[in-house]
Amino acid sequence: MRAYRALLRLYPRSFRSEYGDDMVLLLRQQLRDENVARVAARAAVDLAITVPVRHLEVHMNRTATTALVITFGALGAALAVVGGPIGLVAAFALFALAVVTWRRNRPVVAAGDGRWWKLLLGGAGLLATLIVVTTITGELPSGGWYIAMATMLTSFGLIGAGIVLGIAGRIGTRAA
Amino acid sequence: MKPLPPASMHLVLALLDGELHGYALMRRVEELSDGSVRMGAGTLYGTINRLLADGLIVETTDRADRSDDDERRRYYELTANGRAVALDELARLQAIVHKVGRHLPRIAPA
Repeated sequence: MRAYRALLRLYPRSFRSEYGDDMVLLLRQQLRDENVARVAARAAVDLAITVPVRHLEVHMNRTATTALVITFGALGAALAVVGGPIGLVAAFALFALAVVTWRRNRPVVAAGDGRWWKLLLGGAGLLATLIVVTTITGELPSGGWYIAMATMLTSFGLIGAGIVLGIAGRIGTRAA
Repeated sequence: MKPLPPASMHLVLALLDGELHGYALMRRVEELSDGSVRMGAGTLYGTINRLLADGLIVETTDRADRSDDDERRRYYELTANGRAVALDELARLQAIVHKVGRHLPRIAPA
């Protein structure tokens, strides 16, 4: 039983914390009712098959959700800067959409774990660097405009995602 | 409607009779499949997790009879949508059996 509990650590943390105790209880009940060797063999096969599957599910969920949140955040931040009053309203709607998306499909990493401010600082730092560089260099060389735009959008994305994760984290902490 | 994956299908069909906890659910699936489907804990709880996320089942918290029960056990039951999906699955399987049964005399060797 101790070995099984140790092997459960191979599952993603979120899955393990949700169902780990239930799985141990289930195995205990199986051992009470069935042949020990058969139960152990079936548990080993089950672990070998389902551990990679659970990791894959978590990874896919996390990647898709993070991509969506960053997209909504970037669009929202860009609209807030260049869209005027209507852009601000649209940005607010996009931020709300991003928060809802994160809350509904929250992956393994909890929203309130402190990552949001790193994104926010990273985005702000990138934007500040861009402003400093363009101020020093003055006129952008041919092709530099595209790099500057890409950098600006990336920084907006990071700032937007940071804001969204920060808000979602605060809501989550309050709800919990 | 898209058919459910096999493990999900077995679980929703097993829950048609009412709420069950994890182990009972595993045994019910085994019983309904005449012992041919034996789920391990990882498969069972992975599928339960997916069905919960899809809103087909819910964890029950207000059971009337808790006597002679381990309070650590978590019970699950079908939602209204889950029941509809389970009945659709049942109808789909019955239709397949019916269709194959009708065509069988023609393809059976003489």
